[in-house]
Amino acid sequence: MLNDGVKAYLRALAALKDKDYRTGVGYLKIAQNQFDNSPDFRILKETTELLLAVKEEIFELEVENSEVKELI
Amino acid sequence: MTARLESLKRLESVLENFLGRAVELEINNLNTVSRIDSLDEIARLSLKGRLVNQQLGNWFARNRDYLDSDRLKETEVETIANLLSEIKKGLDSSDPESRKLADEIERWKEKGVVPKRKLILKMKSPAGGMSITEKFADYLGREKVLLEQEEYSQEHLLSILDDILKSAEAKEDHIYIHLAGSIIYFLRMNGYKVSPYVKRLKQIEKERLGIAYAE
Repeated sequence: MLNDGVKAYLRALAALKDKDYRTGVGYLKIAQNQFDNSPDFRILKETTELLLAVKEEIFELEVENSEVKELI
Repeated sequence: MTARLESLKRLESVLENFLGRAVELEINNLNTVSRIDSLDEIARLSLKGRLVNQQLGNWFARNRDYLDSDRLKETEVETIANLLSEIKKGLDSSDPESRKLADEIERWKEKGVVPKRKLILKMKSPAGGMSITEKFADYLGREKVLLEQEEYSQEHLLSILDDILKSAEAKEDHIYIHLAGSIIYFLRMNGYKVSPYVKRLKQIEKERLGIAYAE
């Protein structure tokens, strides 16, 4: 049987392939204990988390921009 | 603010490309392991005593090309073989559809896709080859594996017993009957009320093994 960590990693990869980064990072967190010693895994997880943070920041700036435009 | 936004968008694009390539590198592996993952799900359901004929039939249909190809690595072959072996134990040989699926598994074995492999090598030769002590030890080993399943890790032994009895009802493999008996005895030794379970087990024994007890 595949253990839950491996299953979570697979599901994370499938989600990342579909650009569903939020789901992907959720599964990567579940898989963390299993793969924590793997540098590749850590890079994948940290890059995904960074990407989500960037997307959030972009969203906030865009909202801010549109509010400024409305004021002008 | 616009310059910052542009920088962030460039960074977003770089990160997305990087992740896309990283995942692509894993993709073949992902496809393979996804196949194994879905077969693993079927094996888990089968271990719980669920009917898996339809899922297994679909799995074979979806993965025919993959199983026919020469791309399988030894470790993949071994994993698939072990899972199919587990699933096959749970197929009901009195049911024509299950027999067909069992034949399908055998066919893959004969073709060497589920090769003359560990599936066979790991199993000791039946009846003739094993002494009664070896058979008993084999049961104990397999029972330990059954009990160590992840899904049982948080369960009370009574819930596990209930699940094992369901498997004993549904499956051909008599190991579930033996394991249920063993758990019942252990619970009784520890002061649990086990009579409803004993009754269920007796009924299963009667149906599966033809053993009847005086009431």
